[in-house]
Amino acid sequence: MNLSTLTRASSLSTTITSTTLRRSITISSSSLSYTPTSTNPKTPLFLRPPIFTATLTDLQKFQNWAKTLTSSIGSSFKDSDNGPDSTILHRELNWFIEDAVENPNSLLTQSETEIGRVVKLRAELGDLYTLWKQRIEKRRPFQYVVGCEHWRDLVLSVEEGVLIPRPETELIVDLVCDVMKMNEEMKSGLWVDLGTGSGAIGIAIARVLGEFGRVIATDLSPVAVHVAQFNVKRYNLQDKVSVMQGSWFDPLSGFEGRVAGLVSNPPYIPSGHINGLQAEVGRHEPILALDGGEDGMSDLLHLCNGAEFMLKSGGFFAFETNGEDQCRFLVDHMKSVHNNSFCDLKIIPDLAGIQRFVTGIRS
Amino acid sequence: MTSNILRTAYRRRSSSILSPYQSISTFFQSSSHPQSIDKQQNHVSGFEFISKNAYGFSSVSNKRSTLSCGCCFNNTQMWFSTQTAVEPSTSDGLTVDDIVANQWTILDESESDWKSHASAVAQSIRLIKKRLKWKKLKVRLEMLSIQIEKPDLWHNPVHAGKISREHGSLMGKMKEVNGLERELIDHIDMIKLAHEEDDPDLELESVKALLRMRQSVKEKEHEALLAGEHDSCSCYIEVQAGAGGTESMDWAGMVMQMYKMWAQRHGYGVTVVDEMRGEIAGIKRATLRVDGEYAYGYAKAEVGAHRLVRISPFDSAKRRHTSFAAVAVTPILGDGSHHVQINESDLRIERYRSGGAGGQHANVTDSAVRITHIPTGITAACQNERSQHQNKASAMAVLQSRLDQREMARQAQMNAQYTQSLTDNSFGNQIRSYVLHPYRMVKDLRTNFEVSDPDSVLEGEIDDFILSFLTDSMDKENEEV
Repeated sequence: MNLSTLTRASSLSTTITSTTLRRSITISSSSLSYTPTSTNPKTPLFLRPPIFTATLTDLQKFQNWAKTLTSSIGSSFKDSDNGPDSTILHRELNWFIEDAVENPNSLLTQSETEIGRVVKLRAELGDLYTLWKQRIEKRRPFQYVVGCEHWRDLVLSVEEGVLIPRPETELIVDLVCDVMKMNEEMKSGLWVDLGTGSGAIGIAIARVLGEFGRVIATDLSPVAVHVAQFNVKRYNLQDKVSVMQGSWFDPLSGFEGRVAGLVSNPPYIPSGHINGLQAEVGRHEPILALDGGEDGMSDLLHLCNGAEFMLKSGGFFAFETNGEDQCRFLVDHMKSVHNNSFCDLKIIPDLAGIQRFVTGIRS
Repeated sequence: MTSNILRTAYRRRSSSILSPYQSISTFFQSSSHPQSIDKQQNHVSGFEFISKNAYGFSSVSNKRSTLSCGCCFNNTQMWFSTQTAVEPSTSDGLTVDDIVANQWTILDESESDWKSHASAVAQSIRLIKKRLKWKKLKVRLEMLSIQIEKPDLWHNPVHAGKISREHGSLMGKMKEVNGLERELIDHIDMIKLAHEEDDPDLELESVKALLRMRQSVKEKEHEALLAGEHDSCSCYIEVQAGAGGTESMDWAGMVMQMYKMWAQRHGYGVTVVDEMRGEIAGIKRATLRVDGEYAYGYAKAEVGAHRLVRISPFDSAKRRHTSFAAVAVTPILGDGSHHVQINESDLRIERYRSGGAGGQHANVTDSAVRITHIPTGITAACQNERSQHQNKASAMAVLQSRLDQREMARQAQMNAQYTQSLTDNSFGNQIRSYVLHPYRMVKDLRTNFEVSDPDSVLEGEIDDFILSFLTDSMDKENEEV
């Protein structure tokens, strides 16, 4: 092949790419819209079938484009609202490509002769451009972009309308494991995860329960219920976890005094703080899962009251809070209002050193 | 005709395998017919061994063989536990040592000369034995065999596990080398037989088989360099930029890339566990996990400081810069063979780089975890996993590896006998120089091995450096012994 054919060929391929690009971007406005409407949970990117293809060259073009876009952010998000800086965004980009490509390891071992190689993708190349634009320009959370969150040893499906489980919350499961280690009976009891969202805590607890242990996970949001059910199925825990729709304890009538463990990560952000939240959270995550009323305590206090009549004697509870003030307030409240109902009240910090959890035992 | 020869060959082969037992029967025969002993002795390779070792038989033998049995007492153990004492030899009595002693000229592999092949293989086997410190290995194996026989061994399961693991590993090596000797002898027998029976096809085929052995035994030479207790483990490679800002961070990044590519070439699994990027280029430090057999054995040869000389692309005045990157390598020991038991209460586990209120306030994909082992102050961090839980598990594995390494170094110091020359290469010693300007060369300062193509080295072609260092340090060690 002489030089002129080569040039022609390469310009041809550019034209093809740019047309596909334009086309898929126009289509994508419908296929990638992120208003929480559907009741069918979206399949996370990494679970979609690899039915699309792109040449390695075109994928690398995308990668370079995305890298440039990402680098341009620098620390501007961080400076404005403590958002991610470009180092973190670059790592997200790598994960994004990992999730989108059928065999990401093959990208590592490319040699020059393979430059025309075709790579199988789980989304159209044009969609990758759109998705990454959403990540950077709209600050759409990375987890919504790829449709999943890695949490403990789980990979949970998430989408708009469902709170993305936080790393801090992983510790609740460790606390539960500690309780089960001290008291084997807890493994066969009924556990309740209130406001389960994606089902994270409930699923993780179900995986450490014994043969007879069960979990009921509740959420007010129908989207959350569907997503949680999807995740429960994915881990094949339908027999152990029931997901129920309803506000807090409403779906639990009949179980009063029979619950062995009660855990929750309820909304705890004071209403006044909602406007100043990091863009990924404030603009994209469901307010329902974040806004805890004027002082952020309304739902936590409701849970305390409920815990008193739901838990059986010796039952355990663990709640996540906004920090030290809420923890102290909660412990004081339980001591003064529910005197003698709870014992062994503890405040436990997260790994960043913030007083994050309140735990206790029903007397 | 060929099948006829094969049958004969089979008969001969099986007879040579059976020779020790056969010699037992001839032995009994011989005690009643003393004259026949001398006749047999030349042919039956196992005879001498039996007369020396088979303690049980000496009681029934005549005076003459009891005398030849003077040193048999202790060796009995060896016969049953290690089965090493039969030295294989061809039907006409040629042993591997004889072949080495014959010093047949070793020609190029392409020359179809069986003596040359045989000589090369025999040399390789001798080198392997030397590298394995054959005599010491035999003594050690015998000692372990005695310990394993002890009825109270499993009173201390940890110790017992160690002993039986080491025994198994040494035994494996011994069997492998014995197998190689046997294989060589069998090939020679086959070639000679084919020649005698005038079957050129079979002869050619047998010579080819010997050639294949000559090629494969070369790899075994390399493996024999990796006879250290943990050489077969996976490992962590840690690279840290020296002083000098962006230029040296870029260099550290290049070194990391070199190891990534080296590991990929070898088909090892590569994961970046922990990486702290430089502000402008490269890395401040990074930890790479390399999964695969002998990863530690090879990578440990890279421990030390690597020096780069080039015109810095980060210097607008285009001056020549010298930068350093330090490399540390720690083995990942299998479960149950850890040297240190980590106590949960000795650990401080923290999330880092997490500013702000956290919790529901923040959407993060970064859940970097750092673990500090309070009694030693050793830390390990991981931030490249996608969940905090996984970051914690990864950091824990790195910490375990570092604590194990530290304990091993301490034990090695206490037990000078086991000090390897490798441990002299502390983190700071300069081991290799990469010059890109004014001339182009990579030179290992320990072995003086050098190449004039830095690009290929930086693309991961470092095996020659590694092998020359391993060979060198092994030879030095042997000299000291």
